[in-house]
Amino acid sequence: MPPELELHSIVKRFGHVLANDGISMTVDQGEIRALVGENGAGKSTLMSVLYGELRPDAGEIYLRGERQIFRSPVDAIHAGLGMVHQSFMLFPSLSVFENVIYGVEPTSRGLIDRRRATGEVRDIAERYGLRVNPSAKVAHLPVGVRQRVEILKALYRGADILILDEPTGVLTPQEGEGLFETLRALRAQGKTILFITHKLHEVMRLCDNATVLRDGRVTATVRVAATTPEELSRFMTGRDVLLHVEKPAVEPGRLMLGVEQLTVLDEAHRHLVADVSLEVRAGEIVGIAGVAGNGQTELIEALVGLRPVGAGRVMLQGRDVTHGSVADHRRAGLAYVPEDRVHVGVALGASLAENLVMGFQSRPPISRRGLLRLDGIKEFARRLIHRYSIKVSRASAPASSLSGGNLQKVTLARELSHDAPCLIAEQPTRGLDIGAIEFVQQQLLDYRAKGNAILLVSAELSEIRALSDRILVMLEGKIVGEVPGAEATESRLGMMMTGAHEEVTPRAVTAEGVP
Amino acid sequence: MTSTLADTSTESEAGTVAPIPRWSAIRSRARRLIAFLLSSLIGLVIGGVIIGITGHNPVDAYRALVDGALFGPNFVNLVSTINRAIPIVGMGLAAAIAFRAGFFNLGGEGQLVLGGLASALAALYVPLPAPLLMPAAVLCGALAGGLYASFAAFLQFRLAVPLLISTLILNYPARDFATYLTNHHFRDIATGMNETHTVPDAARIPLLPGGTELHAGLFILLSILLGAAFLTKRTTLGYEMNMAGLNPRFARYGGISLQRLGYTAMFASGAVAGTVGAILVLAEFGRYIDGALTDPLYAWTGLMAALLAGSGPFGVAAAGLFFAALETGAFGMEQTTNVPQELAQVLQAIIILLIVSRTGLRAGEDRTG
Amino acid sequence: MSELHSIFNDTLLNSTVRSVAPILLAGLGGLLCARVGVFNVALEGLMLIGAFFAVVGSYYSGHAMVGVVTAIAAGALFATVLAVLAVSLGGNEVVIGIALNLLATGLTVFLMRTMFSVQGEFQDDRIKGFPALSLGPVGNIPILGPIVSGHTWIVYCSWLLVIATYVLLFRMPLGLRMRGVGELPQAAASLGVSVRKMQYTALILSGALCGLAGAQLSLSLRLFTENMSAGRGWIAVVAVMLGQANPFGVLGASALFGFADAVGFNLQGNLPSELTGAIPYVATLMALAIYQARRRATRSAGTPLEGS
Repeated sequence: MPPELELHSIVKRFGHVLANDGISMTVDQGEIRALVGENGAGKSTLMSVLYGELRPDAGEIYLRGERQIFRSPVDAIHAGLGMVHQSFMLFPSLSVFENVIYGVEPTSRGLIDRRRATGEVRDIAERYGLRVNPSAKVAHLPVGVRQRVEILKALYRGADILILDEPTGVLTPQEGEGLFETLRALRAQGKTILFITHKLHEVMRLCDNATVLRDGRVTATVRVAATTPEELSRFMTGRDVLLHVEKPAVEPGRLMLGVEQLTVLDEAHRHLVADVSLEVRAGEIVGIAGVAGNGQTELIEALVGLRPVGAGRVMLQGRDVTHGSVADHRRAGLAYVPEDRVHVGVALGASLAENLVMGFQSRPPISRRGLLRLDGIKEFARRLIHRYSIKVSRASAPASSLSGGNLQKVTLARELSHDAPCLIAEQPTRGLDIGAIEFVQQQLLDYRAKGNAILLVSAELSEIRALSDRILVMLEGKIVGEVPGAEATESRLGMMMTGAHEEVTPRAVTAEGVP
Repeated sequence: MTSTLADTSTESEAGTVAPIPRWSAIRSRARRLIAFLLSSLIGLVIGGVIIGITGHNPVDAYRALVDGALFGPNFVNLVSTINRAIPIVGMGLAAAIAFRAGFFNLGGEGQLVLGGLASALAALYVPLPAPLLMPAAVLCGALAGGLYASFAAFLQFRLAVPLLISTLILNYPARDFATYLTNHHFRDIATGMNETHTVPDAARIPLLPGGTELHAGLFILLSILLGAAFLTKRTTLGYEMNMAGLNPRFARYGGISLQRLGYTAMFASGAVAGTVGAILVLAEFGRYIDGALTDPLYAWTGLMAALLAGSGPFGVAAAGLFFAALETGAFGMEQTTNVPQELAQVLQAIIILLIVSRTGLRAGEDRTG
Repeated sequence: MSELHSIFNDTLLNSTVRSVAPILLAGLGGLLCARVGVFNVALEGLMLIGAFFAVVGSYYSGHAMVGVVTAIAAGALFATVLAVLAVSLGGNEVVIGIALNLLATGLTVFLMRTMFSVQGEFQDDRIKGFPALSLGPVGNIPILGPIVSGHTWIVYCSWLLVIATYVLLFRMPLGLRMRGVGELPQAAASLGVSVRKMQYTALILSGALCGLAGAQLSLSLRLFTENMSAGRGWIAVVAVMLGQANPFGVLGASALFGFADAVGFNLQGNLPSELTGAIPYVATLMALAIYQARRRATRSAGTPLEGS
């Protein structure tokens, strides 16, 4: 019997970047195959090719022995493929069943046959153990349930092969277990699953086999039962140890950032941040760990002045800036590297120099008495470009011409050059390659060594652990614990992040989404 | 032209990894100019077809158009074009100032009218020594326009009413109110029309020497033009407005108060519009005439020029001058060939549509010029 | 007290209903476009085109219905231009919309002058309009009767279209797909729904609806005036916002404006006409301000256009 799926020498190029360099893999029916690799190894590109989002430059795809050519995801869906993207493709204002039937609606006399639709959705959900309320509005659903809806979407269209792209990134460990149960149930029903991840412990827990990618090539295809995380890591990176940054001991000095019982409310007066207190002193890095969506973003926005504070106080270098504007915060000594560097950290339509100058435009050497000093700007920009090795032809080039990594450098360079006593950095190395990650982390450590205070928010536990002197864990808008950097193991942090104080055990997943 | 930070900023070509060399920047400007010329050409051809369909000779019509715009005995038509360009470019600059900072001011017409009326009333009823009268009247016009525009900003920042809508709607009460005031309180009964008395001579904006109809309002406009260019390229405030227009989230994040910027931009925008109203009243008509400021559609033509030119001041001036030529020429064309002068408006709109589609121009994203 | 009665009387509500219809129709078109993610500000120009071509059709054929069909076709065609430029060629829909409004103003006057050799207003016996329909026994129902009876069929049609739009949007596959396209086009595309097709559909439908609105304006008076739409298209844009792109919401918002308009008209005896003319606009602004105050979003980093 031919294999369920076969990829043969897939090649995909973007400009002079070879994302997929002749990748071949064979997957059998009823298998859960892991696709592992670092950021930029080519996993997502390969799956985009498979799902018809991209056309390969060379190579073929075979489903059950038959050659397939996908001009778009619609073809792939017809052929029995289903994909759950990292960022969900759901319509928040529509209900679960509307999302599931979208584009393939059952009709009766020209109108959508709601009864049939909800019935069919319920049937499929029960068959595969995915508990959902078909009439619930997606916007009201927690992330874990939304993912179930995405899976339902694929199953409704008859998917036999399911591709999941980094599905646990947005889930709590508990929800992750629920997902694994679902996937095992799907396997039992004969479905084939491709599981993209860079988290090796997930591979070991869930998958039957693993294909490892590095720099666009397959470095190994192994049976999971016959390998170890260390071996997989070596196949992924080519070296045993990933990152190594030197963190000298620094004695914490005076209090730079003081937060007392901070509360942030949303429109419906629900707590986004509840009673948070923390301190960051000169010369220390305080890290905030926690699964995304537990209030970190709102906390940072409130600390920076971008979001109104419901209750509590924020003190910067002794000054009360709780209800101050962003300008007030910056004047009090704050700099901020935002998570969304493209939409918040830069203006793409402006030149590089204009971007570097933001925040400095009212003082010398950039301006004097309201008038810009062009030579001052040029010099300032030149200095930063040189110091941070930003790759650009000249300072007046538009920011849109820079690569993602360079854009991050622009934001970082600018904020660090403020020499603000307190720096807040959100996801500073997201999406960067290894070299850039090391550079950025070293910059942060150097900043700390100069006697400045840093508040670091990162989803990468390894990064938090490597850089922070103290780690705070956030869960549902509260600080649930603090751990000194030296004692912070991944398991201990993981337990705090889920609110459990013992080993995480999978519990029965209940139906959710009832308003 | 002094070099600036942004003199080679181009339309964003997302995805480019390699930096853009200088040649491409020049090429991009040239590309836009070519797009403009090509669109104008196609527009004229379409216009010619329309003329032909209605039973006239396109060649004759266009010849009369050009003559009507630029020539005539002693270049009297050229003077008309320039005089017409003053309010169009002025209203374009008004719209552009706000637009460049990311704020939609569609209320130019209302601000123009209130400014014109205010300047007329100030000239008529405020007792001032002669040399101060004209500047004071212009100032009153500017103030009226600026305050009215700031009111729309107030609605935006305090009550979250979108500027796009509020400025638009506020046009109507402004015009109605001006009509009402003129009709019921300040009317010159002697003439049969709804207008104020003529302003004293001391308040009139003088003609330029040389025996033509050119007036000193041209200088006022040029100062506004140079002021706008200077503001946008050389001042901190201009920098902040540019950044806010390009990415308001970035500006907020950098500590810029969008509210303060909004009030400033809208006030400036309205003040320019009010000044244009004052120029029209004090230079051209000598009194406030109901409808005379709005019938020629200066505000809308100016707005189009601003959106077309990417809101850079000199681009606005060029586009405004072009539109003024079209309109003046069309008036002459109607005299000689009976083709209705509204053709100018039709041509303008068609050319705009062609340009917007050819370059995929996203209004406000180009920052050259 | 009698003064109040001269303002708030039966004819007030009847004329309200009449004023509402064109705004409502244009608003329905606008809301369809909003649902697919296109901000259509050309409603004003589309309505004007409809008004003009309704008169043209009626004049040359001698039948009012032909005028209506012409108006709808012209509106749909005009909207297609907007669709091509904004959807297929990627231009900024607001700029294009405003330019189309200007085009409509100039074109209608130009054509009026070249085709009929008149300026300002075109009136002719050959233009056939629509009679006011008496609804027979319905017209005799106390209070409600005089309000509801005595309108052109277009007005009644507009009420049906409110329901039809609701059914389309919320009960039919086409409507579901449109809503998805407006909310998250990438998701819609990934499921095989053509964003382009949906946007074209909405735009052309809006053109047809605005054409019908224009026909109501001109054929009910049996003439065409320069700039006949007089800002109603822009009021419709506001109605879409106030009504949150929901057919019944748009109905409510349009009714509000129509009511204010009619009140202003009735007040003309007591107040100068210039000021009464401003009433509906001021009322709309106030309504919008109150509505926004109640929505009071948290301070989010939106663009100034969206309010910050």
